[in-house]
Amino acid sequence: MLIKVSSALHIGLETVGVDVEINMASRGLPGFEIVGLPSKAVDESKERVRTAIVNSQIEFPSRKITVNLAPADIPKEGSFYDLPIAVGILSSVLDFRIPKKALFFGELSLDGSLRHTKGALLLALYAKEAGYTHLFVPKDSVNEAAVIPEITVYPVAHLAEVVEHLAGRYALEPVVHKKTAPSFDGAAVAEFDMAEILGQEQAKRAMEIAAAGGHNILMVGSPGAGKTMLARALPGILPPLQTTESLEVTKIYSASGNIPAGGGLLATRPFRAPHHSTSLVGLIGGGSKPQPGEISLAHRGVLFLDEFNEFPRAVLEALRQPLEDGTVTIARSLRRVQYPAQFMLVASANPCPCGYLNHPKKPCICSPREVQKYQKRTSGPILDRIDLHVEVPAVEVDDLAQHFSVGKKGVGLAPETSQKIRERIQQARDIQQQRFSSDNIRVNAEMKNAHLKQYAKLASDVEQILRQAANRFQLSARSYFRMQKIARTIADLEGVQEIEVKHMAEALQYRPKINNEE
Amino acid sequence: MVRDTHIIYKEDALYPALLRGIPDAPARLYYKGTWAEELFTDCLAVVGSRHMTSYGRRVTEQLVGEVASRGVTIVSGFMYGIDVAAHKAALGAGGKTIAIMPCGIERIHPEYQEDIYWRILETGGLVLSEYEGDSMPAYWTYPKRNRIVAGLSKATLVVEAGLKSGSLITAELTRMFGRKLFAVPGPITSEVSKGTTKLLKEGATLVASSDDILEHYGKKRASGQASGRASGKNDLEQKILDALQQEPFEVDLLARTLGMAASTLGTTLSLLELQGIIKHEGGKYYVD
Repeated sequence: MLIKVSSALHIGLETVGVDVEINMASRGLPGFEIVGLPSKAVDESKERVRTAIVNSQIEFPSRKITVNLAPADIPKEGSFYDLPIAVGILSSVLDFRIPKKALFFGELSLDGSLRHTKGALLLALYAKEAGYTHLFVPKDSVNEAAVIPEITVYPVAHLAEVVEHLAGRYALEPVVHKKTAPSFDGAAVAEFDMAEILGQEQAKRAMEIAAAGGHNILMVGSPGAGKTMLARALPGILPPLQTTESLEVTKIYSASGNIPAGGGLLATRPFRAPHHSTSLVGLIGGGSKPQPGEISLAHRGVLFLDEFNEFPRAVLEALRQPLEDGTVTIARSLRRVQYPAQFMLVASANPCPCGYLNHPKKPCICSPREVQKYQKRTSGPILDRIDLHVEVPAVEVDDLAQHFSVGKKGVGLAPETSQKIRERIQQARDIQQQRFSSDNIRVNAEMKNAHLKQYAKLASDVEQILRQAANRFQLSARSYFRMQKIARTIADLEGVQEIEVKHMAEALQYRPKINNEE
Repeated sequence: MVRDTHIIYKEDALYPALLRGIPDAPARLYYKGTWAEELFTDCLAVVGSRHMTSYGRRVTEQLVGEVASRGVTIVSGFMYGIDVAAHKAALGAGGKTIAIMPCGIERIHPEYQEDIYWRILETGGLVLSEYEGDSMPAYWTYPKRNRIVAGLSKATLVVEAGLKSGSLITAELTRMFGRKLFAVPGPITSEVSKGTTKLLKEGATLVASSDDILEHYGKKRASGQASGRASGKNDLEQKILDALQQEPFEVDLLARTLGMAASTLGTTLSLLELQGIIKHEGGKYYVD
């Protein structure tokens, strides 16, 4: 007797249908075999399935059972074949029919309950594409799958539930996707509010521009100046993820098992801050079963590299291509996987090995040679891909406290809250979205030369300023175009159509600064 | 040509008289470049910390530039920091400069300043050392070298110096040789101004402008700078310039002091910088 249950298999972010064929032979010694290139986790499914069935008070059939995972030539990984196998076996024992247009997916616990299993969203997407209508997934993973409204998704808590349901003695209640999940107000929770950071007016403004246009940014400053704090406050001013973006991001997280049990669509932009000891594979992605790296987990969000100069050079160099393309392709002998990696790079670095170059109080003890060597650790091509360069000078706590203390009015501006800054950024993003509606890009930072010609035209007086600056500050051709992009974003923040001299002039503040020490 | 090494002995007529006058004048000197007697008529030693601040650099550029352009030869030790800033300022002003090396004559130390080394030679300056070959500098060669720096010069200018520094050794030697000692005042909070402050307390001559030095050499004063720039500026630009004239500022501090947003301020600063009126250096803005 041959039974067929439909399931699927994930390769990177792609999903391929898998037929779980189960043969219950009436002859031969009782046994249980899985074929079709199962990995260790899939092979061990035998023990989980057997025990779960027994623990569900159902007798395990003492017949020769052969399970084939077709297509047989693609290696199968993961623990989610437990449910289709168990359901298939039980359909013969308890004599119920398995619906044709249904997919089964989930890892069994020994007591017969189902565990949170990674990749439920990918499965739902595949189901929609391949014309399946019903989906049985573990209860804890159901929010992910329910994102796709076209599919009826059943939350399964226990093996017995699904069996009874299929036998028609019990009705599982399908989950209805709530359009706005409770966490979907979009406002990211940042560790700090921008208003909590006193001083650093220019760096904050640079952050605002970076967030508005999706630009990469490099902060250079002494230890304790507030670089990390600024970066940690960044999520608070980022606009929420749009629905399509959210789906892209959730896919990556779902595939790599980064969504906690019960979690659904991600609403806030990812903020990833890998330590500088992170390996190349950890950052870029890879492994024999290519996993997404930090750059992909930061897709549509922020990749914060603290102590930028401390990252091994090879690791940083590997960032070059993803920074340019917004995707990373990981090729292995057996498979080739592409992960999106459209992130905003926020890097911070010390100006020199001791960290106190240009510090107002502490003398720098580095020789110019050491400083030069330190700064050269990051290669030109990487620095060239960073739009905004900003110095974060050390702040004198006493001065600041005095300046912002109550009662002292008129001088200086009170720091703005993240909320207020985010509103401006949202407005700038809206303008960009409208502008690029037919261009397949989202933000100013992604503009290519053709876009610049079209959307960031410079009036003659503005161009003259830029030309002048290019000569005086020795800007490379690449930074010349970067200045144009930043000016575009600054104009967007103001809600102005034409790039004016003042926008370009401000943009020039964030040019790459050549070290004056030589 | 300029790359060739020559030797001059203490007995030679061309050996600088000032140097011959010091107690342990070197018996022979190795040199590269073209030996010209007039190079040694008016020498000023400029020494200071390796860890100069941006203040130190600016002072060096200004003072040395003005003094060198009036025909005073700048003598220094080719070390990074104030030394090389002095050499550079002299070259930039079209003046002559002499570098006294603490290592063998065939060695360029520090190596990465090679371009300046050759520029010194190409512009009619000299590179001197009392050591032959390409021996490495040692702890004891630096102070020994300093006696030549001080010995060649009618006066020594100390720009920035810590309390324990070679610059103070040079200053001490200068006094011992009975030469004039100049020191530039600096902020008393700065580590590298403690040495100069000490020198000033002990009676060194305070230098507030290049005139103070030029007077000692009997040279004409560096005519008062015409500062007719302050015209045609709008209110904001004038406010910024007024503030910067008092003190160099970081953008943030300037924004706070003037009570304006960093964005607006940045715009104006960029425009002023493009016009060459102000300069960004070491994180701060200066009136150029």
